Amino acid sequence: MPILEVKNLSVWRDRKPVLEGISFSVEKGENLAVIGPNGAGKTTLFRAILGAQKFRGEIIKAEGARIGYVPQKLDLERDLPITVREFLTLMPHEGTDKNHSPESVLSMVGLATEFLKRKIGELSSGELQRIMVAWSVIGHPDLLLFDEPTASIDIAGQETVYELLRKLQDERGLAIIIISHDLSVVYKYAGKVLCLNKDQICFGPPAEVLTPFELEKLYGEKKKFYYHIHEKHGTN
Amino acid sequence: MEQTNFIYALLAGGAIAAAGGTIGSFALLRRMALVGDALSHVALPGIALGLIFHFDPFLGAFVFLALGTLIIWMVEHKTKLPVDTLVGVVFTLALAAGALLSTEEEILDTLFGDITTVSGLDMFMAVAISLVIIALLLYFYKKFSLTLISPDLSLSVGYKPHMLELLFLTIFALGVAVGIKFTGVLLIGSLVIIPPATARNIAWSMKSYIRLSAFFGVLGAILGIFAAKIYGLAPGPVFVIIAGVFFFVSVFWRRR
Repeated sequence: MPILEVKNLSVWRDRKPVLEGISFSVEKGENLAVIGPNGAGKTTLFRAILGAQKFRGEIIKAEGARIGYVPQKLDLERDLPITVREFLTLMPHEGTDKNHSPESVLSMVGLATEFLKRKIGELSSGELQRIMVAWSVIGHPDLLLFDEPTASIDIAGQETVYELLRKLQDERGLAIIIISHDLSVVYKYAGKVLCLNKDQICFGPPAEVLTPFELEKLYGEKKKFYYHIHEKHGTN
Repeated sequence: MEQTNFIYALLAGGAIAAAGGTIGSFALLRRMALVGDALSHVALPGIALGLIFHFDPFLGAFVFLALGTLIIWMVEHKTKLPVDTLVGVVFTLALAAGALLSTEEEILDTLFGDITTVSGLDMFMAVAISLVIIALLLYFYKKFSLTLISPDLSLSVGYKPHMLELLFLTIFALGVAVGIKFTGVLLIGSLVIIPPATARNIAWSMKSYIRLSAFFGVLGAILGIFAAKIYGLAPGPVFVIIAGVFFFVSVFWRRR
């Protein structure tokens, strides 16, 4: 039984389709990457899964499955007077066992216990992203929706976040859906890939479905731009 | 007799300021405070109707505020109209309607408040309602904090952010209705904005922030009411000035 099954999902906004005919499923411990150009409906898909977006079609979650969500960015005011510990304990199911205490989730994402006393508005964007992963894990999720930040995280930081996600997957059997902007991440970390451009262009293992033909269908002219960015990352 | 009134004023003013500070500490998590401030103008026609038809002006104020709250909430979530435009239009209209409905003497009290005239019953009402407000806010602490910091995160853990916002705005309206006696319609914003803004400059955590907000509210209210009595001034505006002084001191504290 999959953790999440989406059947023929469509979302319309202002009488225009934002997503049409999307069908896929995610099993326990699986990593699905969602790719597509800007405005392809990736974040809308997440919002539909979270219940924040009206849709047609079916979204079936396994019974009792909890969803964790790491947004692309969190617009926090810099002087928000809330500590990391207070933020983590805002999660409703927090700290019910030793593996999910604020201390343990923090060490899991590679941050020292001293961070519990820091105000979240004072964190760097890389630190905040780790806190967000810790936040989603503290609520015992079965499925993690991870909206990848586009530019704010440095490369070294980025790689460790993916390694972190993979570790969570191995240790806790978490299923992950990640919106990615970087094809190298998709090849390296995802078991399956869903290509969106309002319609569903492809779904399956990256090596099989990410053919040059599909990529061109997905990104059109932008494909070259993408590879270009990827090369630049490699040389840094 | 005057002594009794003074004690009533201190108790009512202190309780209202504690509730106002606590409400404001949540409202300032998202830049909601000014909408709430403008909202307070809606109370004016309600108060005027209460005075004309001889029912409790507090009730009139609360009914109008609750309606105003519902309108803001619906506009924000059901239409694409910009909220601040609507706030500007509807609430100045309400202020104008209220001004036409009130007589000149009444209007000064309604605009700037006068806590020195509270009766024993008024005082008990003010204290009881303030305590209910504080209790509700603390009971929903996690839900309100998360919803105000990030509606998306609130939704992702299974809360209903829209309903929580409506509940919060209703508590806000209740706070404004009870606070009008103290600072009046025009200065009510000071009760919810200045103490939390001061606390925020000093706070090291959410808990300390909420407590300091209530503390600065109460301290300002007590000092304000005492100073007003000594110098024969209106307590509402004196409170605002004292609270303002705390705020500027806290700004320097932060700069250190």
